[in-house]
Amino acid sequence: MWRATLKGILAHKLRLSLTALAIVLGVMFVSGTLVLTDTLQATFNNLFTNVYRNVTFVVRGDAVFTGNFGAVRHPIPESVATSVRAVPGVAAANGTVGGYAQFVAPDGKAVTTGGAPTVGTSFDPNPTLSSLKLRQGSAPGNDHQVVVDAGTADKYRFHVGEHVRILLVGPPQTFTVSGIAQFGTANNLAGATIAAFWLPTAQQLFDRVGQYDSVNVLAAPGADKAQVERAIAATLPAGVQVVTGQTVADEQSGDINRALGFFSTALLIFAFISLFVGAFTIFNTFSIIVGQRTRELALLRVLGASRRQVFRSVLAEAAVVGLIASVVGLGLGVLAALGLQALLRGFGITLPSSGLVFHARTVVAALVIGVGVTVVSAVSPARRAVRISPMAAISDQAVESERSSGRRSVVGSVLLVAGAVLLAIGLAVPAIQLVGIGAVAVFLGVGMLSPLVARPMSGVIGRPLAALLGPSGRLGRENSMRSPRRTAQTAAALMVGLALVSTIAVFGASLSQSATASIDQALRSDYIVSSGGNGGPSSGFSASVATTAASIPGVTAVTSVYAGQFLIGGSVASIGGVTTPGLSQTINLRMASGSGEPALAAGELLIDTTTADAKQLAVGDTERVTFARTGPATIRIGGIYEPNVVFGSYLVGGRFFLDHFDTPLTTAVLVTSSGGTSPSAHAAVVDGLAAYPNVKVQTQAEFKQTQRSQVNQLLGIIYVLLALAVLIALIGIVNTLMLSVFERTHEIGLLRAVGMRRRQVRAMIRSEAVILSIFGAVIGIILGTGLGVALSESLKKQGITDVVVPFSRLVVFLVIAALLGLAAASWPARRAAKLDILEAIAAD
Amino acid sequence: MAMTDASESAATPPATGPAARTVDLVKTYGTGDARVDALAGVSVAFERARFTAVMGPSGSGKSTLMHCMAGLDQPTSGQVFVADEEIQGLDDTGLTKLRRDRIGFVFQSFNLVPTLTAKENILLPADLAGHQVDGAWFDYLVDQLGIRDRLGHLPKEMSGGQQQRIACARALVGRPDLVFADEPTGNLDSNASAELLGFLRRSVDDFGQTIAMVTHDPRGAAQADRVVFLADGKVVADLVSPTPDAVLEQMKALSS
Repeated sequence: MWRATLKGILAHKLRLSLTALAIVLGVMFVSGTLVLTDTLQATFNNLFTNVYRNVTFVVRGDAVFTGNFGAVRHPIPESVATSVRAVPGVAAANGTVGGYAQFVAPDGKAVTTGGAPTVGTSFDPNPTLSSLKLRQGSAPGNDHQVVVDAGTADKYRFHVGEHVRILLVGPPQTFTVSGIAQFGTANNLAGATIAAFWLPTAQQLFDRVGQYDSVNVLAAPGADKAQVERAIAATLPAGVQVVTGQTVADEQSGDINRALGFFSTALLIFAFISLFVGAFTIFNTFSIIVGQRTRELALLRVLGASRRQVFRSVLAEAAVVGLIASVVGLGLGVLAALGLQALLRGFGITLPSSGLVFHARTVVAALVIGVGVTVVSAVSPARRAVRISPMAAISDQAVESERSSGRRSVVGSVLLVAGAVLLAIGLAVPAIQLVGIGAVAVFLGVGMLSPLVARPMSGVIGRPLAALLGPSGRLGRENSMRSPRRTAQTAAALMVGLALVSTIAVFGASLSQSATASIDQALRSDYIVSSGGNGGPSSGFSASVATTAASIPGVTAVTSVYAGQFLIGGSVASIGGVTTPGLSQTINLRMASGSGEPALAAGELLIDTTTADAKQLAVGDTERVTFARTGPATIRIGGIYEPNVVFGSYLVGGRFFLDHFDTPLTTAVLVTSSGGTSPSAHAAVVDGLAAYPNVKVQTQAEFKQTQRSQVNQLLGIIYVLLALAVLIALIGIVNTLMLSVFERTHEIGLLRAVGMRRRQVRAMIRSEAVILSIFGAVIGIILGTGLGVALSESLKKQGITDVVVPFSRLVVFLVIAALLGLAAASWPARRAAKLDILEAIAAD
Repeated sequence: MAMTDASESAATPPATGPAARTVDLVKTYGTGDARVDALAGVSVAFERARFTAVMGPSGSGKSTLMHCMAGLDQPTSGQVFVADEEIQGLDDTGLTKLRRDRIGFVFQSFNLVPTLTAKENILLPADLAGHQVDGAWFDYLVDQLGIRDRLGHLPKEMSGGQQQRIACARALVGRPDLVFADEPTGNLDSNASAELLGFLRRSVDDFGQTIAMVTHDPRGAAQADRVVFLADGKVVADLVSPTPDAVLEQMKALSS
C-alpha cells in the first residue's frame, strides 16, 4: 500500500506541488519569524552581557514600580558611591546618569533613529567599567565636551574637535566632540544614538546634581564576590540595592525579549492566517484528487484494501507532501530571516553580527505545523475516500451523496453561530483568543455553507461574462455552476483572505475617522508642536520649546503636554499632564462631571468616562497611586471627561506632573496664536521654533492628516502581511483550475474538435476563474465588513466613536480580486488551450 | 493434475462443497414504478476446479450475480456462500478480507493501477494483505502467461492483451478459492482473446483453479466446463460440456 501511495504522489507531482506551495509559504513565514526573533534575542543577550561583563555589581535605587518600559527607580545620592568605594574588595565604584540627548546633524536637522532611543549618558573614565570604548580622541573632561557613538559619527561625519549641537530637556547646547566610541564591538546600540558627557555635565543636563542613577562597581581581582556584595549591601541606605552586573544584563535583555516576544507573536498570527488559508487549499486539492481517483481507490478496495488502508494512504500522501513542503519552507524561512536581517541593517539598525540562531524548536515547530496542517486538512477528503464503494471501480455511477451535503449545512450553521457567539463574547470581554477561535469557526462555517449559494451566485456573476464573451463565457459560467461545492471550496481560501483585509479596512477607516473627530472635539489650539513621528519610547523634546513658543509674537496660549506611567489600583497605566494656564484656549476637555482646569490646577486627577464606568469611580473619590519620583500617594478625582484619543484615560496638571515624575520630556506643545493659522502667524511660529530641529509644527488640519497617514501606514503593514494569505488563496485557484483542466481533458478535446478555438478555450477557463474569485471576494468582503463593524463597535469605549465602511476601498478590493483571479487562470488556460485534440479525445 | 494438491491445500476449510453458491438470491433496484428486479431468485453453485461460464442478454442480471457473490454488492435477499461460509452479515472488514484472500478478479477494462508497474500490480493484493507471495508460484504464473519481459513496465506501455494477462496473474497469484472474470475478453482482439481463454482453461485443468466467467462470446463460453444462462434475473438453462453451436443455439432461443 505504501508503494501505491508513493507512486501515486510521484504521478501527481504537479498538482501536489502546487498544494505544497501553500504549505511552503506558511511554514516559511513561521520559521522565518522564529529564526529572526531568536537571532535578535541572542544578539541582544550577547550585547548586554558584553556591556556588563566587567561590571561586577550595580548599586541602584529600588524599583518604585515596573512600567511597560522596565522598572522605574529613584536616583541615589552621590554619597553612596563614596561609601561603596570604601568597602574592602572594591576596586572602583563610578556613578552614572542618563537621559535624553539628541544630535543635530550638520544640515541642521535632528538625527532620527527610527524608533531607537536617543541616549545621553555620563562617560565613565574607567575603561574597564565603561561600556563605551574610545576609538578615537579622548574622554570628555569639561562641560563643553562630548563623546559620540561611532555609528552616528560615521553616518553624519562628526570628527574629533568639531562642534555638534545637541537637543536636551533644557535648551539646546553646542559641544565639542572629544572622542568617538564604540559600544562593545558594535558601532552603536541597535540603532540608538549615544552622547556621552563628562559626569558633572551629565548630572547638570539630566537634573541629577548630587545624584546618580546607579553606581557601577568593579571588584578587586581575587576578591570574594559574595562577601563584597554583602559588605556593599551593609553600607547602603534604605531604598538602595546592590545587584550583580549579570542581573542587570539579564533584566535588560529580558525587557528586549519581551518586546521581541510581542513582535514575534504578531508575525506568528499572520503566519497562522496564511496556514489557515493554506488549509482550505489543501482540503480542496485533496477533495478533488480523491474525486478523480475514485476508480483507482475503489479498485484497491476490490483487490482487498481495507477502509483503514485507504484512509491511511490518503493521509500518508498528505503527510509526505506536508513533510517535503515543511522542509522546503524551513529552508526558505531561514533565507527570509537572512533577508530581513539585511533589511534591518539597511534601516541603519546595526547589530553586532552574530550568526543566525537556529533552535531545534524552530525545526520541530516548522515540521509539526506543516505536516499537521496538511494532514488535518486531508482528514475530511480521506473520510470521503473511505466511503467510496468498491462498486465504483466497476460501474461509472456517481457517488455524490446528498445526505452528506445536508449534514455539512447543519455543521456549517452550527459552526457559524457558535463562532459568532464566541466572537461577540471575545470582543465584549475582551479576550483575543476567543476572538481568534470565533473567527476561525465563522470562516469554517461560512466555508461549509457557501456551496448552498455557489450555484445561484456564480450564475449571477457569470451572466455579464456570458453576455460579453459569448460561448466561452457561457461555458465558463456553466463550469463554475456545475460543481457548486468545488466552486465554493476553491473560493473559500480567497474568502478568508478578503474577509481579513476588509475587516482591517473597516477598522482602519473607523479608527482614522474617530481620531480626526476626536482631534476636532478635543483640540482648540491652532498649532500642535510634536516630535513629528520620530516615535520610540523616549519620543519627546525639550521643556524649553514651550517657553520659546510663549515668547513668539502673537502667541496667546501655550500648553505643554507630558506623558508618563504610574501605578493605579496596582496596575501600570499611562498618564498625561497638561499645563493649566490658558488651557481653555488650547484644549476642550468636555467634562462629564466635576471641573476641568481648576481641578488640574489643584493637583487633582481627571479620568475619562470609560475608566470611571469601568472602575465605578465618581468625582470626589480618592485613589491610591504610585508616582515614579514621589512614590505612593492618594489622589482625589476632580473631574471626569469624555474619552478622546488625544489624551489617554488619566490626566493631571503640568506642575503636579513635573513634581511627581523624573525629568519628563514634553511630548507635545499646543499653541494658539492671535493670528490663527494665517500664513504670517504660521511662519512666526515655525521661525520661532527653528532652534529645535526635532520638533514639527503642524496646524490642526496637518496634524489630522498625520494621524490619518499613521493609521494608513499601519494598515499598509497589515495588508502586506495579509498579502501572503491572499497569494496562497490564489495558488489554490490555480491548483483547482489545473485539476479541472486535467479532469475535463476529454471534454475540452471535444470542444476543440467541434470548432472551439484556442483563444476561446482560454477565455472559458479565465471566465471560470473570474467568477470563482468574485464569488469568494463578495462573500469575504461582506463577512469582513461585518467583522470590521463588530470590532469597531466593540472598541467604542476605547475611543472608536465613528464606525465607517470605506465602500470605495472595498470595491477596489473586489476589482483586485477579479484581476488576481484572471492572473491565476493564465497558466491553466494556456495549458487547456495547448491540449492536443486527438490525445484529449482518446483520454478517458 | 499435478498442481491440484497444492491448490487444494491453500483453501482454508476442507474442500467438500462447491467453491461458491447462492440460495434464492434477489436483488432489486429502485422502488415503485422504477423498480427493477436484477436478480429474481437465483440459486446456482460453482463447483470446485471447474470453469463455469455465465451468459445471458444485457440486463439479464449476470453482472449483478457476480457482484453479489464477490461481496461487492449487497443482495436484497437470499444467501451467498463462498467455500461454505455465508457472506451475509460480514462487516466491511470481513468482506474486504474475503475479496483479498478468497477471490480473484479479472475485469473487462483490465483495471490495473496506472502508476504501478506490472510486477507491482500483480503483487498489490498480497501487498495490501501484508502477505508474502510464493515466489515459485509467481514465477510459474509469469512464465505460463509469458509476461516476464513486461514486469517492469507501466500499464500504459503494454497492449490490451498484455494488460489482461497481468490482471490474470494478479487474480491467480494469491491462490483464491474462486476467480471471477467479468467479460475478460470484451476489450481484446480475437488472438488475444484466444490466448487468454486458453490460459484460463489450462489453469483449471493444470492446477484446479475454480473460475466463473461472465461473457457474451459463445466461443469463449464453449471453453467452459459448463454454461449457466440467465434471463430476466433467473437461471433459464444450464449446459454441461458445451459446444459453440449448442451455446449459440441456446442464445438464439433466449433472444427470440
